[in-house]
Amino acid sequence: MQTLIDELLSEQSVLQTPVAKFSDYHDREPDLAPHYRQLIPLEKPRSGEQYAFEVALDRCTGCKACVSACHSLNGLDEDESWRDVGAMVGGDTAPGWQQTVTSTCHHCEDPGCLNGCPVGAYEKEKDTGIVRHLDDQCIGCSYCILKCPYDVPKYSKKRGIVRKCDMCHQRLMEGEAPACVQSCPTEAIRIVTVKTGEAAQAERVFMDGQGEHSALAESDITQPTTRYTGRHLPTTAHAADRDALVAQHSHWPLVLMLVLTQSGLGLLLATCLQPVSGVAFSLVGVILFMAGMVSAVFHLGQPLKAWRFFLGLRTSWLSREILAFSVLLPLPLLWIGIHFISDFASKDFLFSTVRVLMPPFALLAVFTSVMIYHDTKRSLWRVDRTSLRFFSTLVLTGLLVLNQPWIFGILMMAKLAWEYSFLRLRTQKDWSPDAHSARLMAGPLRFVCMLRGALALCAVAASFISPWPAIFLLLGAEALERMMFFRAVSAPKMPGNFGPQTA
Amino acid sequence: MNPLILKENDGPLTRELVQQPGDFGLGKVPSRLKPASTTTSICGFCATGCQLNIHLDKQGQAINLTPKPGYPVNLGMACPKGWQALDPLDTPDRATSPLLRNSKGEMEEVGWDRAVEAFVSKLKGIQKDHGRESVAFLSTGQIPFEEMAFLGCLFKFGMGFLHGDANTRQCMATAVMAYKQSFGFDAPPASYADFEESDVIVLVGANLCIAHPILWQRVMRNKRNPTIIVIDPRATETAQAATQHIPLKPKGDLALFQALTHCIIRDGRTNPQSIANTEGYEEMAEFVSELDPLWAAPKTGMTPKAIEALAETVSEPGKRVSWWWTMGVNQSHEGVRCAQAMINLALITGNIGKPGTGANSITGQCNAMGSRLFSNTTSLVGGHDFAMAEHRAKVAEGLGIPVERIPHDPSLAYDQILTAAEEGRIKGLWIVATNPFHSWVDAGALERLRSNLEFLIVQDMYRTTESAQCADLVLPAAGWGEKEGCFINSERRLATTKVVSRAPGKAMSDFRIFKLIAEAWGCGGLFSQWTHPEAVFHILRDLTRGRPCDITGIEGYDHLDARGGIQWPYPMGSPREETERRLYADGHFYTPSGKARLLYSPHTEMPEMPDDTYPMILLTGRGTSSQWHTQSRTAKSPVLSRLAPATPYLELHPEDASEIHIQQGDLIEVQTRRGSLEVEAYLAPTVQRGQVFLPMHYHGVNRLTHPTFDPHSRQPSYKACACRVQTKGGEFIPPRA
Repeated sequence: MQTLIDELLSEQSVLQTPVAKFSDYHDREPDLAPHYRQLIPLEKPRSGEQYAFEVALDRCTGCKACVSACHSLNGLDEDESWRDVGAMVGGDTAPGWQQTVTSTCHHCEDPGCLNGCPVGAYEKEKDTGIVRHLDDQCIGCSYCILKCPYDVPKYSKKRGIVRKCDMCHQRLMEGEAPACVQSCPTEAIRIVTVKTGEAAQAERVFMDGQGEHSALAESDITQPTTRYTGRHLPTTAHAADRDALVAQHSHWPLVLMLVLTQSGLGLLLATCLQPVSGVAFSLVGVILFMAGMVSAVFHLGQPLKAWRFFLGLRTSWLSREILAFSVLLPLPLLWIGIHFISDFASKDFLFSTVRVLMPPFALLAVFTSVMIYHDTKRSLWRVDRTSLRFFSTLVLTGLLVLNQPWIFGILMMAKLAWEYSFLRLRTQKDWSPDAHSARLMAGPLRFVCMLRGALALCAVAASFISPWPAIFLLLGAEALERMMFFRAVSAPKMPGNFGPQTA
Repeated sequence: MNPLILKENDGPLTRELVQQPGDFGLGKVPSRLKPASTTTSICGFCATGCQLNIHLDKQGQAINLTPKPGYPVNLGMACPKGWQALDPLDTPDRATSPLLRNSKGEMEEVGWDRAVEAFVSKLKGIQKDHGRESVAFLSTGQIPFEEMAFLGCLFKFGMGFLHGDANTRQCMATAVMAYKQSFGFDAPPASYADFEESDVIVLVGANLCIAHPILWQRVMRNKRNPTIIVIDPRATETAQAATQHIPLKPKGDLALFQALTHCIIRDGRTNPQSIANTEGYEEMAEFVSELDPLWAAPKTGMTPKAIEALAETVSEPGKRVSWWWTMGVNQSHEGVRCAQAMINLALITGNIGKPGTGANSITGQCNAMGSRLFSNTTSLVGGHDFAMAEHRAKVAEGLGIPVERIPHDPSLAYDQILTAAEEGRIKGLWIVATNPFHSWVDAGALERLRSNLEFLIVQDMYRTTESAQCADLVLPAAGWGEKEGCFINSERRLATTKVVSRAPGKAMSDFRIFKLIAEAWGCGGLFSQWTHPEAVFHILRDLTRGRPCDITGIEGYDHLDARGGIQWPYPMGSPREETERRLYADGHFYTPSGKARLLYSPHTEMPEMPDDTYPMILLTGRGTSSQWHTQSRTAKSPVLSRLAPATPYLELHPEDASEIHIQQGDLIEVQTRRGSLEVEAYLAPTVQRGQVFLPMHYHGVNRLTHPTFDPHSRQPSYKACACRVQTKGGEFIPPRA
């Protein structure tokens, strides 16, 4: 018996020798070329034109072969694919309306990713309009993920960069069809040439007829070029995953960066106003500020490449933020340095210069932080709302230094009231980004929400005793507020799938 | 990284995605996955039978795959399961060594010698004490038919047991019985080309768009501007894409078809030449004479006018009408008669044997059709009958075994085997490549009968399936891609599957496991010619001589590969050039009279009707294109997993949900008389009010389903039973006024 077992096991381990099949090999046109030849343009785009995906909705039925093919033909990571298939559903009466929707990068005319990238890691190819991501240029700051209204770029943890669809430009260059175009059994996806600029506006058919509760982004943010044809979307149609209460990423390095820099600056500005308040406040202010600066680095997948931040200054608020904080950086250090250096000739001059310069530079830096979020066009992150959050952190910390417990208490309570008043939107009948955020806050984030309030109240109570415990309680409370800011935001994206969602 | 360069257009990260020509007609491929060679293999999931081009490295190990262009089935396309077919092979929960339950009740790794010794001594012991009916096997439609035949012949002729059935009972037994009774042989008429040739395509209980996307591809290639009618209680993906959706009342299909037959006969829209090839027409006409649209309306939920209109559409003279059904019909308490009602409609309107016509079953598993001919369970291997002495003699001669070894009495069907186990008559069970502890209707019953079994053997790729975890002995099997053999698809096309990957550890192909067991049992001599799968293919091929499924014209695997698969029948001397063929063009059927039989029975209402306690109807079915059956394989693929919800959900009408304030995404419970399951609410008007839909892939779903069976096919009626929906707070959706 043992001999037979050994024999069978050894037979089992034999694979066919591929050599025998070498006769198959020859350098020939791809076997699928006759199939996809009419699914890609014959000529390159002329001036005023670019390549775009066209999806015939009446031919897309949700088989998802495009997702698999994108994964396999691009050699992506084990669960990575640059395409996704979701669904729009609509109507209230049976039988209901449903449409599966395949989507990937829309190679926008005015790409949010490209405009937001601080280091120029995105390029829009001049001749084809393809939005390319330069993987080796990317610093992994993920700002493009926040900027893209379609949730296209995806972060690769093991590489510390994002990756995204490049319309299989290597294939297109050789007259081969992109993976998704090749693989669609019903020829629902093709590459077409579309007009750009003014002329494009009239011809755009991007999720035609979307209603205001669809949970899709407005196409005028980035001018997506994909054409969705073949089936009209009723105004009741909305993304099948619209109501899924999945909280967004918490971005803890950003939470720390924002709260620590803002509270650090609050302490420092207060000492500028009232220099007698003591060196301890200045020292802690500098430490917090520097800690905030350091935690920002943890948000980068490739921090050593971040020196190129100036490449994005023309369009990216993240570039501007880095510049603003870089210019600001010496001032707090000088401010604390002055306290510890023995008297020298121009010490007083230096002291007053820093004292005058620091507040405007600090406020400018915080303003750039605000604009980073405002520029994503997400409702919860609108400039008024974000300013209120960010600047109030600075002011609240400052008030503790200035030993104004009453004003601090009133302001803190006002901020809490403003935050909690948002929760009333959760019962709104119609979907809106704000109602969605409110539902997240009242649902999966309710413990964060409650803890934030509790810590804030403790800070108020403590402020009547001593500023020090109040400062640290405030830090905790504001960190939770900021976590909520990131987690409860309604991030627009292409329609996802129905059924249980995982974060 | 070069710190001096402002733009890094190239570098290690960029190079990860560089492509180069893959040769072999593949076009560009990722550089790191450039193949040294390619080979072809039929996909091992569904019965569509797509051919995949497997990309191999220098050692012959598969590294990637693409669907095969030019193959007559899939024409270079595949669904995600096909694209990801290699993923399930490389997972940590593969069974890599036999596992035997020790005295402490724990599963222990043992060598093949111990495993086989335990297998033989246990089963021989049971056989000695309780006879040849005391052990049964439950196998599968997922393995090559050479392996199926080995199991069936070894178990019945070698080991001397009687009862064996397969999970094909769950998927196409109804179609088998419908064709056998109507046509005299289990011979589905269609070729996939008929999808492209049809003017009216009627899809009944079939969601092609996600269950058989490649067949939907064929529908979309139809250039005749066809009317596509979907008959389904749900507004499925296919219903959305069709020209007409008929949201039928669950299990109203037989009544509908009988009323259509009534209208067509009443209006004289029949085809006399075609009727001449049938028997029983007068009796059937008499039977349906009272079954008018008014009678059918309340049973179908349709208006009499809509039924009349449909009758006209499907009997339009000069139009090619094709009927296609899947599990919505097969898994029904009156599925056989329902399938035959469609066969009858095709026969009386002349829609058979011509391009774009037919009453066609779309089968489930990759080798369900192989099992129908060669598994030696319901019918004697090679398309024969156990009850017929000349068939037994022919098979005995063909296999070179004594004729006394071939039983003349039939095997119990799946449900009867389990009932016998519950009653203690069957003491040993051998489960091969299937997962009944998850998939069998009223799955809770299996757990209850487990303790009645003296010995339970599970032979599978994985040690983690619900069934493997209940076993006394787990035999580690090689999976698809780790062994060779043939599959037969829904259009009767035989094609090969290849070895492209090494099985992990001590796992072996089912073929080799059977060989080992034959030797250990002491009947190895009977199978001395069964050296490897292709040798068995030749033996089986020769057995089919003179049967409707005659394939004696096929030379071997190379012939199948060279021809892009071959449809049966293919007797010696068949023309060599054709790639697609349909049956019954000559109006001749396989019955003794050569005429097709028109068969019918009165419609009966679904066995478990909703009532005050369980007021809703629970529908089950395929969830997404990336999920397969109990997900033992598809859940192992990271890509397929991201394309399907990870936990069970219940599709529920928003107005039903609002009755007890169920919100989108709420955790709720769906209950039947047999069990309950926690699910997430998915509110969508794609189901009708009073009905809910539960995808079948999740653990625990079949604890809810109702164990009734079609009386002719013994196929379980999975699709509809009574249920109720409860919130966490204990509130039920009430019966509708």
